[in-house]
Amino acid sequence: MFKQEVISFQNFSYSYPTKRNVLIDINLKVYKGEVLGIIGPNGAGKSTFCKSLNGLVPHFYGGSIKGNVIVAGMNTLEHTVAELSTKVGIVFQEPENQLSGLALTVEEEVGFGLSMLGFKKELIRERVKEAIEKFGLKGLEKRSPFELSGGQQQRLAIATIFAMKPEVMVLDEPAALLDPIGKYEVFSTIKELIAEGSTIVIAEHEIEEIAYLTDRILFLKEGKIISLDNTRNVLSEISKLKEAGIDPPSVTELTYVLEKELGNKFDQYPIKLSEAVKLYSEVLKIK
Amino acid sequence: MSSIGTSLLRRSIIVKETLIHKADPRTKFLFFLWISIWAYIFYDYVLTTIFLIGIIILAIIGKILKRILLSVAVIVLPWMALGVPILSVLFPWNSTLMYKIEIFGWQIPFYYEGFAWGLTWPLRIGVCITSALLFYLTTNPANLIALLFKLKLPFRFIYAFAAATQLIPLLVDEAGTIYQAQLSRGLRTDVGIIKRIWNFLILIVPLTLSSLTKVQIRAIALESRGFSAPVIKTCPYDIRFKNIDYVFFIGIAIATLIMVYVYTVYGFSPIVHLKQYFISG
Repeated sequence: MFKQEVISFQNFSYSYPTKRNVLIDINLKVYKGEVLGIIGPNGAGKSTFCKSLNGLVPHFYGGSIKGNVIVAGMNTLEHTVAELSTKVGIVFQEPENQLSGLALTVEEEVGFGLSMLGFKKELIRERVKEAIEKFGLKGLEKRSPFELSGGQQQRLAIATIFAMKPEVMVLDEPAALLDPIGKYEVFSTIKELIAEGSTIVIAEHEIEEIAYLTDRILFLKEGKIISLDNTRNVLSEISKLKEAGIDPPSVTELTYVLEKELGNKFDQYPIKLSEAVKLYSEVLKIK
Repeated sequence: MSSIGTSLLRRSIIVKETLIHKADPRTKFLFFLWISIWAYIFYDYVLTTIFLIGIIILAIIGKILKRILLSVAVIVLPWMALGVPILSVLFPWNSTLMYKIEIFGWQIPFYYEGFAWGLTWPLRIGVCITSALLFYLTTNPANLIALLFKLKLPFRFIYAFAAATQLIPLLVDEAGTIYQAQLSRGLRTDVGIIKRIWNFLILIVPLTLSSLTKVQIRAIALESRGFSAPVIKTCPYDIRFKNIDYVFFIGIAIATLIMVYVYTVYGFSPIVHLKQYFISG
């Protein structure tokens, strides 16, 4: 289904100057248009994985590295973060801290990255308009970015990255610090991006959302790959997830428990509510 | 932090369409340097007051009068209120007696030299700060960064400048949050001065650490958007000298000629002549 390779981790291991073995021997490929979810307990290396995609690891943090990360044909070791910013856009957890602090209005903020990369004014205007419309920021163009709600700020952060049209978008727990409305806004935005056919890497604790958003999941624990498979297969590994302290989707866990309790064997576990409704409807009809 | 202090330090560009806003950042920065240097060349509270009034007039044109007056009220007036009475009495180079006041049977002498020092220094500092604020409050930061790149200044300098503009609002926000958190965990404020100093130290450590972390995150965010990319940055605005800038330059040139004349004729402290009138009655 996905053909063109966009990200390639080749025997990649990394240690921060103050913490050893944060990522150990990572090998994987991500293809164009694919949505890869990253899950794992705290300290599993999810954020470090994200930061290694745009060269922040190791250029910004230092530390020691083995192997290579190739993104859109660029080896992250051989290119600066600024050079890689045209290929990889990254959105962090804290909405306010990732605002440039140098733009007075929402539209200036959206165009900030493009200005820093020296794009032509006409193109900047065009991209800014497109991003503002796409991410529901219309009407807020002249507002200060600091006056927006958390959810709006995070949408702005995504719009800012989107305007740069990177080949890969990396979202490092983008909804972790938001209230339910903010989370809803951000996940709706991510769905928009997926519908566009963007290549996305998303680290997230909200496992129910991961089930809806991703094609494949990378399950990390203590810097090592525990599983790398399609979303359904990884989320169906209930005992492995539980062992790492991760709650699987409620419907998946319910099915797992029922299977154990009733002795029924299901062909596959549902990972979404709609799948569970369909499965249980059939089961109830049989009964 | 007091509400005045907070509002002074907060993220503060005031968006208006005035002549001062339209002026090129270079012109405003040149004005800041020019007037600050003259304020230090002349040791004269009358001239320095005239400089300050000039800045206040520009602040009225730039519609930032409230902020400028606020900074004068916070920085200049308290120092004067403190400095003038103390220095008028205790300044080491006091020699010209102005008058004596009797307090509790003591004859306290007030001298001219200390009085002049107590007035001039807060005014000088006021001129520097208000002219800097005139530049800072009326200049779009993104524009300024683009200009710094255009001037081909070293990247590290520009980065440090950008971080500095962001650090103060971050510190203010963070200090408020940490202070409230500590209050809600039982930090007492109705205590003596020693305990208050200790409370301040308790605040400083988490404030420094968390602000550094936030600045680092923001630096990462800037870098992730190509801040240091070795290309010519696109400025969203037109950065070039306009008519208003040339008017400013002419004004500065005329004022410089007048000041050079005053300096060569009367010296660095023309007020000395006024002093003679004062002393002679």
